[in-house]
Amino acid sequence: MKQSLRKLVISMVLMLAAFALVACSDNASAINTEKPEDAPDTWIADRTITGLVFQSANDASVDMNPEIKEYIKERTGINFELQTVTAEDSTEALASGLAAGDLADFTAFYLNNSGRPEMQLLLKAANEGMFTDLTPLMEDTETYSKYLDEDYLPADTRDNIMFRDEWDGASYLVHMAINREGGDAGRPTVGGLYIKKDIVEALGIDPLEVNNSEELYDLAVQIKNENFTDDNGTEITVIGPTAWGGSDRDWLYNDLVWTGISGEKFMKNDDGEIQHEAQTDYGIKRVEYVQQLMNEGLMTPEYYTMEETRAKEGIVNGSFAIVSDMHNYMPENNDLAYIPLGPIERVDGTNDMVIPYKSGYAGWAIPSTTEHPEHVMQFADWLASEEGKRLYFYGLEGRDYELDEQGNPIVKQEVLDLLESNPEEAKKRGYRGVGAYWGEHLGYTDMANEADFGELEYGSSVVQKDTSAATEALELYNYDERLENARVIDGMTVQSFLYEFEGDDGNLTTAFNRYNEDMLRAYYAKTLEEAQIILDESLTNLENNGLNEFLDFVEQKEADGVTIKF
Amino acid sequence: MENLVVHNGILKTRQELELHYNPVKDSFWTRITKHKVFYIMLFPCLLFFLVFSYWPMGGLVLAFKEYGFNTGIFGGDWVGLQYFEKFFSDPRSSLYINNTIIISILKLFIALPFPILLALMFNEVQSNKLRGTFQSISYLPYFISWVVVVGLMNQLLAPNTGLINQMIEAFGGDGSTFFMMEEGLFFPLAFISYVWKGIGWDSIIYYAAIVAIAPTLYEAASIDGAGKIRQVWHVTLPGIAATIIILFILSLGDILSSGFDQVYLMQNPGNADVSETIDTYIVRTGLQGGQFGYATAIGLMQGIAGLIITIIVNKITSKKFGTSLW
Repeated sequence: MKQSLRKLVISMVLMLAAFALVACSDNASAINTEKPEDAPDTWIADRTITGLVFQSANDASVDMNPEIKEYIKERTGINFELQTVTAEDSTEALASGLAAGDLADFTAFYLNNSGRPEMQLLLKAANEGMFTDLTPLMEDTETYSKYLDEDYLPADTRDNIMFRDEWDGASYLVHMAINREGGDAGRPTVGGLYIKKDIVEALGIDPLEVNNSEELYDLAVQIKNENFTDDNGTEITVIGPTAWGGSDRDWLYNDLVWTGISGEKFMKNDDGEIQHEAQTDYGIKRVEYVQQLMNEGLMTPEYYTMEETRAKEGIVNGSFAIVSDMHNYMPENNDLAYIPLGPIERVDGTNDMVIPYKSGYAGWAIPSTTEHPEHVMQFADWLASEEGKRLYFYGLEGRDYELDEQGNPIVKQEVLDLLESNPEEAKKRGYRGVGAYWGEHLGYTDMANEADFGELEYGSSVVQKDTSAATEALELYNYDERLENARVIDGMTVQSFLYEFEGDDGNLTTAFNRYNEDMLRAYYAKTLEEAQIILDESLTNLENNGLNEFLDFVEQKEADGVTIKF
Repeated sequence: MENLVVHNGILKTRQELELHYNPVKDSFWTRITKHKVFYIMLFPCLLFFLVFSYWPMGGLVLAFKEYGFNTGIFGGDWVGLQYFEKFFSDPRSSLYINNTIIISILKLFIALPFPILLALMFNEVQSNKLRGTFQSISYLPYFISWVVVVGLMNQLLAPNTGLINQMIEAFGGDGSTFFMMEEGLFFPLAFISYVWKGIGWDSIIYYAAIVAIAPTLYEAASIDGAGKIRQVWHVTLPGIAATIIILFILSLGDILSSGFDQVYLMQNPGNADVSETIDTYIVRTGLQGGQFGYATAIGLMQGIAGLIITIIVNKITSKKFGTSLW
């Protein structure tokens, strides 16, 4: 007994010692910068570059195909590793990651624009010296040096994200997914309201003629009175949530939301003053509209809360007459049971197509603790080069594609067949065309697919993929005509000035978030009076946290020549 | 002979008797060395609490400091009671505290008898097999995560399509009630789901305490003419009173912590006024907004309130019932 006890104790002590040893060991691998004689021109260094990605598991795509990794190693000497943090909220994960300070060799994150919640954290981190200055590193690169060109980046990326005035020429964050040419609409997509095609036919209406909330209400009443049923014979729900579940999106009542295309709930009033929606009566107007729809049984009570699976099920079963947001490529709508509706006009009376001059998506930074940060930049530049992009988009030559006479990749039919029959298996081949997004973090920028690969969509030059539903939706929407008349705009959104205004404080940011939550509460208030009280309190909260001073600040910016887009 | 004495019926020398009443104590280190094996076994537990419970307490200093990514927890400037002022100057802070206390009361006080009652019921089941089956069924929900439980609630209580509403409609009623969105139903639903999920698991300890009661006491009570109810009242409940009190005091530490996941998942725009608690507020403003100092300050407040209440109640139970934690 005593001997067994002793053995047990000895094993426990050994285990603890082993843990301590592992925990305290230096896991930094060696960096060899001496170029081997037979190394290609693209060789950077013999080292590991690890990225920590604060995005959803699918977007992070940390599991890379071994052959692709091997190719990267051969061409650059880099052993490329990705890690991600599983979290319900990517901003929360980023906050924790920054606080922990262990950010690997580079860190990647979501960052659509400088108004995103991540921006406050990233700026705080950059201002506190957590990131490396990237400007000198970009100077010696092929693709990223374009970022230093005054006209290359969109205004928000240039002035708010990458080259902020207070940084005096330095840059700590890289904004990704920048198009090579301005005003490029990219993949033709129709998002927003959709309506069941058979209902349109039964009612004999033109869905594109429904352009304001009153007309939409009349249509909803008409649908309700006709007692349509879904595929299971159950009475149809007239207005359902988005295809991704319950959410407060503007499409349904664009003309009752005090905003332009930015969705930030700021606009100018008739006197030319910038106002937040809380300072107008648009909030209560919207509440009245929503409550009317719900009280009359025209809108599902779960409009703002329904889970995605149930929303998708509703679409598949045709249970919603109107879906408040989906797009023309959704597999659930391959039979084109739903067609575009509207769009509803914006509060300024327009509903034309607006294309940002260029837009960004996601970003990355190099922590100041990274050894030889120039290797990360050089590696990012290689990934963004023609060779790197082709690897990321099309995989390996010979295995996944062949090059035609013009040097464009021609996807192998067997890969397309596999993608069609078994997408999960195809994904294991490990590149963007089959759904693996590891290259998005460092290489997805300076985008011009048509010029680089001879096709806009992966594999479209080989097989005319059956996109008839998507294409027909475009035609029904008069997409080409709308694109021809589209406005291209550049500028900065109001909320992109928040950090400059309040620094780390974050109180006004919290107050803006609270306003959006209060709107949801107001929709479900028992009476309009109760809703008005909620909105009044929300306005008071905004004003107590500096709303008016902030608006003065933004107006001053505009007076100084900054273009503000609403 | 004169040196021999009888002690408790045993013949002992005077020296032995002296040693019995005035034993020579080993020194502290001698005692440790003597029982070193047990101390070594204790070491990982001590290490666990040091690393995961005591060491992080140092981070509480953040409640009075400005947090910076570069300065870390200890390097920032002192900000005094700024975060506490900020919390109490928020007009809704009293609402968050009220909601937290209501939910805590529901869970600590109102829910307390349910697992005890279940344990008493288990005790009355004569067949071991049947009791084992009931116990297994009753504590299975404990292993289902709140995400799944609240998902089930959403499905069952959904307007029009949910099982409850379809039953109401089948009986001729209005099946469009959005139960989860009803402010007045938030506390009852939170309570029912909490009890359903934990009742089986919580009853295990009470049942173990009941089993430990000497059967002779029941026999004696029976001879004295006590029926089943009387036996429960006069034998079982006093027998497990100490266990009930200890578990109750231990749970009091969480009086200002209403349980994050259940409440957070059940939150929706319709019940926001009653479902926003200190825990959900900490996550919303503290972690999602990166305001670690603020979140720490509120967390510290919760902890201190829990500690004070635990000490007070421990004192009361010590005096009134003779049972306490220390």
